[in-house]
Amino acid sequence: MDTVVEMIDAAKEFGGKQAVRGVSLAVARGSAVALLGPNGAGKTTSIAMMLGLLRPTHGQVRLFGGDPGSPRQHARMGVMLQSVSVPDRLTVAETVNLFRGFYPAPLPAERLLTAAGLKDDARTLANRLSGGKMRRLQFALALAGDPEALFLDEPTVGMDVTSRRQFWDELRGFVASGKTLLLTTHDLQEADMVADRVIVMNEGKVVADDTPERIKSEFGGRQISFVAGSGVDLAKLDPLPEVLSVQTAGRRVTVRTTDSDALLRRLIHGEWDISDIQVTGAGLEDAFVRLTTEMGNRA
Amino acid sequence: MRAMFSQWKAELLRTGRDRRFFFLTLGMPIAFYLIFINQQGGDAKIGGTFWGEYFMVSMAAFGIVGSSVNTFGVRLAAERKSGWVRLLRTTPLSSVGYALAKTFTQLTLSLFITVVIFMVAHFSQGVSLTPSRWLEILLWLWLGSLPFAALGVLIGMAGNAAQVLGTLVYLVLSMLGGLWTPVQALPQTMQEIARWMPTYHFARPAWNLLTGHAVQWSDIVILFAYSLLFISLAALVQKRVDSRPES
Repeated sequence: MDTVVEMIDAAKEFGGKQAVRGVSLAVARGSAVALLGPNGAGKTTSIAMMLGLLRPTHGQVRLFGGDPGSPRQHARMGVMLQSVSVPDRLTVAETVNLFRGFYPAPLPAERLLTAAGLKDDARTLANRLSGGKMRRLQFALALAGDPEALFLDEPTVGMDVTSRRQFWDELRGFVASGKTLLLTTHDLQEADMVADRVIVMNEGKVVADDTPERIKSEFGGRQISFVAGSGVDLAKLDPLPEVLSVQTAGRRVTVRTTDSDALLRRLIHGEWDISDIQVTGAGLEDAFVRLTTEMGNRA
Repeated sequence: MRAMFSQWKAELLRTGRDRRFFFLTLGMPIAFYLIFINQQGGDAKIGGTFWGEYFMVSMAAFGIVGSSVNTFGVRLAAERKSGWVRLLRTTPLSSVGYALAKTFTQLTLSLFITVVIFMVAHFSQGVSLTPSRWLEILLWLWLGSLPFAALGVLIGMAGNAAQVLGTLVYLVLSMLGGLWTPVQALPQTMQEIARWMPTYHFARPAWNLLTGHAVQWSDIVILFAYSLLFISLAALVQKRVDSRPES
């Protein structure tokens, strides 16, 4: 397998606090991977180790088969980091050209400004851009060297809806041309939009690594809870196709489901004797907690 | 090489648009020169040469120290704080390349400042030296500015304190090193202190060159020791920063 980036039992500790605890993963060339997890899960620390910004306290990280800190590897990748602001007293076009100057075979400035939707702002001072446009400029900088691989840390934070749409379009084009993408996000929907593989992290560990479809059914599901009448046979619930799991507490039943609408319709049409129905989204945070405890119990 | 050139070009472009640089870093030594020359008279004798020439060297040194310690240090601190330096570390521009590009920028600015001050002295006071002497002094001030670039790097690591610290170090070093008032005119204790200042050892060889004396090794050794000190301290601070978590 042609590997772009590889972590081998990598761990990072900051003053006694474990940010990443023994992560092993490999990203194949041409894949689009989303690193998903709540804040503080270790996504940013992981990506910083992949880019050579941090050295692992334990284990190994390899980028294009070499040292992530070496400038030679850096010529082949583009990066968007969180909370970066650009230098003052340079225009958007000048900032883009500064970055183009770093790479052996940069994309034309015109093409970059178009991709970022900043053609009309080329002569604006870069540090005067609005939050969304600043983010888009950073995307243009990431693309400047015509990279083989893009590493984006929470790329859409601060972007408005229009910016996002254009951004995802560009990214899909990038992936379709056979290039490699790794992005971090805490939004499952975002991960689903472009990734063909989702790696879920929590508390510094990988807790799931699968296709977006599988992750979605595991994480994106909803809960239906109701009070069941005495005539209800709960054993009939489990085999239903939409049902993931059933929990009971007295007469109160909580069902985790892949499709709350379909299950609800089925329950109503089947004239189940149930009352006090509540539908809640099983939030990603809940799912992370659940998954980590499940993983913990299994271990 | 290409990456460094790109960085160097952008830095000069930014400096060219920096009002603070022109009004303070360049403007202050020019204003001081014109004011203090008229108080003393450019023909006054000092250290075997004329006040107009002597103070020209002082103010060129003052300008260079300001550009390195104050402007450069403060800008560096801003770039570090904004995460820009982090982003640059993911590009093919290596940390060494970044440092070199910054150093070349400072050298270019030192050259520019020196030439401007020389021109002000020449046209306002009719200061005139032989071409080789102009060149010697220019060359010394140019290369001698390197320790102050290193000091700028160190101040650039002070984060939010960089602005205040930079201004303070800039003014205190200039004053104690005898760039404002000639060392000969200072009280005895102040003269002792001046002998330990990098600014004094930066300006003294240039003053000596005015009277035809060669640069002394002791000045070079002391400036070199200061550079080493500043760079080691900067490396030490950098190491501590690296072992801290993000954000």
